[in-house]
Amino acid sequence: MTDIDNTAVLTDETTTADAAPAPAAEEYTKAKIPVAKKKVALDTAWYIAGIVLSLIFIMPILYMLAVSTKSQIAADRATGIALFLPDFANLGTFFDNYAKVFTDYGIWRNALNSLMYAAIAIVLNIIVNGLAGYVLSKFDFPGKKFFTAIIIFLIIVPVETSIIPLYTIVTEMLHLNGPMRVAGVILPAVISIFNIFLFMQFFESIPKDYEEAARIDGAGNLKIFFKVILPLSKPIVATVAVFCFIGVWNDYLWPMMLLTGYQDLMPIQAVLQTIQNIDGVTTGEIMASLVVTSIPIFIIYIAAQKYIVQGFGSAGLKI
Amino acid sequence: MTTIAIIILAAFAVALAALIAVDIVKAKRANVQYHLKQCIAGYLMMAPAIALAFVFVLLPILFSLGYAFTDYHMYYPNDIHFVGVSNFTELFTEISNKGELWFAIKNTALFVVLVVPLQIGLALLLALFTNRKKRGVKVFKVCFFAPVVISLTVTSFLWLQILAPNESGLLNSFLGMFGVGPIDFLRDKETAMLWIVLLSAWQGCGYQMLIFSSGLTNIRNDLYEAASLDGARGWDKFVNITVPGLKSTLLYIMITVFVGACRVMIQPMLMTGYELHTVTLSYYMYQMGYGSKLIGLSSAVALMMTIVIGAITLVQRKVLK
Repeated sequence: MTDIDNTAVLTDETTTADAAPAPAAEEYTKAKIPVAKKKVALDTAWYIAGIVLSLIFIMPILYMLAVSTKSQIAADRATGIALFLPDFANLGTFFDNYAKVFTDYGIWRNALNSLMYAAIAIVLNIIVNGLAGYVLSKFDFPGKKFFTAIIIFLIIVPVETSIIPLYTIVTEMLHLNGPMRVAGVILPAVISIFNIFLFMQFFESIPKDYEEAARIDGAGNLKIFFKVILPLSKPIVATVAVFCFIGVWNDYLWPMMLLTGYQDLMPIQAVLQTIQNIDGVTTGEIMASLVVTSIPIFIIYIAAQKYIVQGFGSAGLKI
Repeated sequence: MTTIAIIILAAFAVALAALIAVDIVKAKRANVQYHLKQCIAGYLMMAPAIALAFVFVLLPILFSLGYAFTDYHMYYPNDIHFVGVSNFTELFTEISNKGELWFAIKNTALFVVLVVPLQIGLALLLALFTNRKKRGVKVFKVCFFAPVVISLTVTSFLWLQILAPNESGLLNSFLGMFGVGPIDFLRDKETAMLWIVLLSAWQGCGYQMLIFSSGLTNIRNDLYEAASLDGARGWDKFVNITVPGLKSTLLYIMITVFVGACRVMIQPMLMTGYELHTVTLSYYMYQMGYGSKLIGLSSAVALMMTIVIGAITLVQRKVLK
C-alpha cells in the first residue's frame, strides 16, 4: 500500500514539474518513507514472533515424530536440534518402531476396531438423529412441544458425567457382556441430542416445495428423508459425521471401562495404555503408537476443514 | 433397577399422553386437523432416537440423581437401600477431615483457576495475532491448532515422555545441559498440577483460537475504519470494538472451557495415577464408582458437581449478558 502511495506522489510531482514544486507534496513523501520503514519493521517482528510461537507450539509434536523413528540408543544420544529431527542417519531402521508396533503389538487390529466403531456410529448417528430432526422440523403432531422442551433442557443444563450410572445400565440392566460390550461402546455415541437440534435447525431452512414435489410423485416419508432431505443437507451431514468420527476415535475412558479384558476388541486409544506397560518397550515404540493414533484425526482435520469451521459456527448455537 | 427404569418410562408415557391429549383438544378448538397417518409415521421415525435417548441420556441422569441417596454397591445390584443424605454427610466429613475429597476439590479448583484464564487468554492472543491478511498466516494457524488434533490420551502419554524423570526425558535432558539433576516433575507435589495445567492449555487453546477467529471476522470492518478516522489507537479499538464484538463468543468459550476444566480427569489419570497431589473431582468420582464400586457415594459427588458447576455457569451467564 505505502509503496503505491509513494509512486503515485512521485508521478504527481513529475507531472507538475513545470510549475514550482508543490511544497505540500514534498512534505507528503518525506512523511511517508519513515512510516513504510516502520511497517516493514513491524512485519518482520510479526513474522519472527509467529515463527517462535509456532515452534513452541509444535515442538512437542516434532519431538514425538522424531523419536518415533529412532532406536532407543539413537534417542538417548540425540542432543540439541537433533532431538527434534527424525533419524535421517539410519534410514534403514527409520520405520522399525512402526513395524514393531503394527506386527508385534498388533495395533492394526485396534486401529481397525476404532475405524469400524466410528463408521457404524456415524451411519447410525446420521440416520437416528437425522430422522428425529426431520420429524421435529417438518411434521405437525400432538406432543411435539414435549420433545422440543426436553431437547432444549438437555442441551442447556450441564449435567455432570453420568458415566458410572451409564456403566451400571449397560452391564446390569442391558446385561451386555462378552463381545456384546462393543454395542455398549457404540450405542451411546449414536444418540446425540445436540445433533438432533442441529438437524432440526438445518431442515427448517429447506423449503417445503421439495418435499411436496416428492410426495406428489408418490414417495413415502423414509424415501423423502433419504432421497430428498439428506442430499440437500450435505454440509450438516458432513459436520455431524466429522465430529462423530473425532468423538469415537478419541474416546478413551468409556471403551476402556467396558472392554477391560477384551484386548482384541479395544479401540486404539484404550490400547495405548497397554503398550506403555509392555516389558522392554522403547520410547521410540511408544511414540510410534502415538503417531499412528493421531494420523487419522490429522487427515480428517485437513480433509474436512470446511465442515469443522461450520461446526464451530453451529457450536455457537449451543448457548 | 429394571423395574425403576420401567416406572420412569411409564411416568414419561403418562406425561406424554397427557400433553398429546391437551394438544388434540387445543387443535379441536382451533379447528386444526392432525393427519393420523402422518402422526404415526412421525412417532415411528422418532422411535429409535427416543429409545436411545431414554436409555443412554435420560436414565443415567435420573439414576445418578437417585443413586446419590442410596448405598448402591456395584457387586450387590439387588440389595439397594435408601439412605437419605448420609452419602452427603460422609462427603462433608471427608472434606472437613482433609481426606481425599478435600485434595480433589483443592486440585480441581487450582486447575480451573489457572487453566481457564491461561487457555482463554492464549486463545484470544493467538486469534488476534493471526487476525490479519498476510502471507503465512495460515501456516501459523495450523501450527497453533496442531495440538488440538492429538487426543487427550496421546497428549498425556506424549508429555509423560517429555517430563520423564530420567535423562531421556526431553525437559530433563535440557536441564542436564545446565547441570541441573533430573527432576521428577510429576511426583513433585508443588509442580505436578502446574504441568498438567500447562499441557492442557497447550492442547486445548487452538480450538478456542479458531472460535475467536471466526468471532473476529464477524466484527464489521467499517467500525475499525470509523474509529481510525476518529483517531482511536490500537488499545482503544480493542477495548471499545473488539471486546464488545466478541462478547457472545467470549461467553460461549468461558462456559465451555470452564465446564471442561471442571471435568478434568484423563491427564492426571494417565500421567500420575491416583495420587493425592493430582487427584481431581471427576477422577475421585470415577475412582469411587468404578474402582471402589461405591456407586451411591460416587453419584453423590456427581450431583454436588452438577449443582456447583450449574450454579457457577448461571452466574457467568448473568454477569456477562
